[in-house]
Amino acid sequence: MIALRLVRLLLVLLVVTFLSFLLLNLLPGDPTTQILGLSASEEAREQLRRELGLDDPLFTRYLAWLGELVTGDLGTSYTTSVPVTEALAERLPVTLELLVAAQLVALGLALPIGVAAARRAGRPLDQALTALSFGLLSTPVFVLGVLLILVFAVKWQVLPATGWTPISLDLGWNLTSVLLPAITLGCAQTAVYARLLRTDLIATLQEDYITLARARGLSPRRILWRHALRPSAISLVTAVGLNLGALIGGAVIIETLFGLPGVGRLIVDSIFARDYLTVQGGVVLISVGYVLVNFAVDLVYVAVDPRIRRA
Amino acid sequence: MRRRLGWGFWLALGWITLVLAAAAAADLLPLPRYDETLAGPPQSGPGPGHPFGTDGLGRDVLSRVVYGARVSLGVGVGAVLLGVLIGAPLGVLAGYRRRAVDAVIMGVNDIALAFPALVFALAVVAFAGASLLNVLIVLGVLGVPAWVRLVRGATMVFSEREFVSAARLLGARDRTVLWREIVPNVSLPVASYAFIGMAVAIVAEGSLAFLGLSVQAPTPTWGGMINEGRPLMETAPHVVLLPSFVMFLTVLAFNLLGDRLRALTDVRQSGLEPVRRRRAERLPARPHHVEEDVLLQAADLRTHFTTARGTVRAVDGVSFTLERGRTLAVVGESGSGKSMLIRSVLGLAPESGTLRGGHVYLDGQDLTELDDQQMRRLLGTRLAAVFQDPMTALNPVRTIGAQVAEPLMVHLGMKRRAARARAAELLASVGIPEPARTLRRYPHQLSGGMRQRVTIAMALSCGPDVLFADEPTTALDVTVQDQVLRLIRRQREERHMAVVLVSHDLSVVAEWADEVIVMYAGKVVERGPAATLFERTRMPYTEALLAAVPKLTDPAHHPLRLLPGRPPDLANPPSGCAFHPRCPYARERCSAEEPPLFQAEAPDHLYACWYPVGTGAGAVETSGVSGMSGAAEVLRATEAAGAEETTDTIEGADSRGR
Repeated sequence: MIALRLVRLLLVLLVVTFLSFLLLNLLPGDPTTQILGLSASEEAREQLRRELGLDDPLFTRYLAWLGELVTGDLGTSYTTSVPVTEALAERLPVTLELLVAAQLVALGLALPIGVAAARRAGRPLDQALTALSFGLLSTPVFVLGVLLILVFAVKWQVLPATGWTPISLDLGWNLTSVLLPAITLGCAQTAVYARLLRTDLIATLQEDYITLARARGLSPRRILWRHALRPSAISLVTAVGLNLGALIGGAVIIETLFGLPGVGRLIVDSIFARDYLTVQGGVVLISVGYVLVNFAVDLVYVAVDPRIRRA
Repeated sequence: MRRRLGWGFWLALGWITLVLAAAAAADLLPLPRYDETLAGPPQSGPGPGHPFGTDGLGRDVLSRVVYGARVSLGVGVGAVLLGVLIGAPLGVLAGYRRRAVDAVIMGVNDIALAFPALVFALAVVAFAGASLLNVLIVLGVLGVPAWVRLVRGATMVFSEREFVSAARLLGARDRTVLWREIVPNVSLPVASYAFIGMAVAIVAEGSLAFLGLSVQAPTPTWGGMINEGRPLMETAPHVVLLPSFVMFLTVLAFNLLGDRLRALTDVRQSGLEPVRRRRAERLPARPHHVEEDVLLQAADLRTHFTTARGTVRAVDGVSFTLERGRTLAVVGESGSGKSMLIRSVLGLAPESGTLRGGHVYLDGQDLTELDDQQMRRLLGTRLAAVFQDPMTALNPVRTIGAQVAEPLMVHLGMKRRAARARAAELLASVGIPEPARTLRRYPHQLSGGMRQRVTIAMALSCGPDVLFADEPTTALDVTVQDQVLRLIRRQREERHMAVVLVSHDLSVVAEWADEVIVMYAGKVVERGPAATLFERTRMPYTEALLAAVPKLTDPAHHPLRLLPGRPPDLANPPSGCAFHPRCPYARERCSAEEPPLFQAEAPDHLYACWYPVGTGAGAVETSGVSGMSGAAEVLRATEAAGAEETTDTIEGADSRGR
């Protein structure tokens, strides 16, 4: 079972890296002109052509590129002369903090909302929460971000609209600067998680062991949180993993919107600076990370549901 | 159709039609051109000349929103069409052909789903150039895996249905089957998902435009407008807010259309469908006498459910008494209301759409008068329950120790350590080897018999006065059944408690019960001391049950041996005696009049039958003796007078019959 999953993981990683590699081939016209600009000398172009191995067959070039990738070499940016790996490593902590904070916000909001809705399924509170979730799901992340900035940064001026303080500098300010972006990014996920949790909880609450827990005179609160929540959390764990894809896409926008120096912002800035090697590196980092996280999610199931440990 | 889709659907459809029409007819509308600067004073708010105001360059915001809709809706519709055109044929192929084709398509598909879509879209557009066509193609292609999965699932459902198999068997060509049978059925889920897919594509295009990576200026896009308006947020918030609002409404409308269409195909999990719920209502109870010195008494207990098909009388006027140290068995087929009787006594019957009636007394205290919290104090401490299936009776994700110790901590206020020590003792007392180790295990690591012992240990943990055992051995192997029943009896004797044993297995009942009530269609049809009831059976239903008692030679889990006919439909029970359609002795009267509970000759033995077995009453009736009708008239008179149904007025008929 594990071996099969590992094989699949390797296969997916190969496809993902191959597609990232292919990106450079999408450049219209002569890639060297696109990368170095029109003013570059013929020697520089020749050198780049050799470095990129543009004259070799596609698959040979991919293998060579993959070999360098495995050793952590994604090339050196022609516009900034900074090794791509270095640039990404510098930006990665910001993105990771944003993602973790957003997931925490989403789960922190979704748990009480989902539980409250399931407990009063069909009653007015549940209907209101369901409608709210539906509304949140239909709000693009940049629309929500703009609205939150308008309210919290412009009108009330309680949180900064842009800017970033690293953890190493000041934890308090760091948290202040990540709060609004994390809420923005987390809100849409909140809706997804709360709906999932509500559906699963309602199903779990029909189970015999819940009726028996009631027959033992346990309080509804205790039954919900201690008995029903964990068996209902399996879809939620899957969703938390799968939604990382949506979340990473959102992070690109959030980092741009709130001026956070993360990987997403680096990619966007590099696109406009025509720094294609850095864009490619960023895409490789994000897709490989995404695939690995999904793989890890499969393993987390086991911790949540001891029944699977048998398999 | 209109009613079920709801007003939200039509509002959403109206909004989308409006936006579509405006986008299509933008050139004909009396609007300034989207790129005409200084059409009005810059950054002026909404007013008569410019309903949406103007932006930083004095361009008309409404005009830009309308022209921007062309891009948004164009990409939304275009990407979905592209996705369907590629994904749907692949999905149908995978779902219809199965096997190798399916494996290959789904294998590739799974890999494709493992991509962070938006980041890839961003990268592709960045490298290939930002244009309407590129954005449309990228978003369309990225949607293909989801389409394949959806269409394959829908196809598989329908290709298994009878009408498709029949068409295939009749020799219809695959292409004909696909077009005539499968495509029409798959189209509703596809339409539903198409709207949701459009919402997704519109948001994705907006995100790219927000980053400056969609259609380039001067063509306006919603995402681009929101991005450009950000620096003006303090002075002219409408430049950002109005496009945001229009975009939100449009995405919401598409999502709503998809959700409502999906609700048409799937009644169970309709997103916004309100689930009607009502608190349990009370039915009036008939007058009854509260016994002084019995432990548990149920009086005219009723639990009715209001369903779409009518009122289901799951428990319909059940009365019994139970004393300490005795076992009361409740027998009957599946669906006779046995389990619901237990849940009704414990106050655990479902609340939604439920009508309740009658009273339950524990030592003379009326449990139906208690509030939830008072009831919880009795549950577990004085009343305890064990259910049929030990596989579902334990929480799969909590250790045995956590589950057995919990009532001790909650009800007896024991500390964690003490509770676990007591839990180990309890496990040992129900015959579980290695109790300390078992505490750390999960339910799935135990056998069925061991699990049922655990649930019994849990039920007994706080020393209850009454144990309700709902078919405690039905799901167990024959050899284990006996051990579990022995265990329950030993505990009953040691703790001097009472047991209510629900079973459909009369051999179990005959061996273990002191008193028996036989239920049919939610009613008690015979009731009495076990020995009397089995030796001098009066109700033909009980007789049939006895005839169907499984023998030792039957395989394990063997249900009742065949009783002729089917259990009654509780939403629409037969007239008169509910058993008459299956009864070999039934006469005209049985279908016309419902028999009350008659007193048999033995004390405490009651039965509900016009022509009881073993009395010859039926034979007397056939020979046309008129005395019977006289007795019936006496009975009718007493009923009319509102007397208790359990009377001894029929003694005459009874003795005459013998």
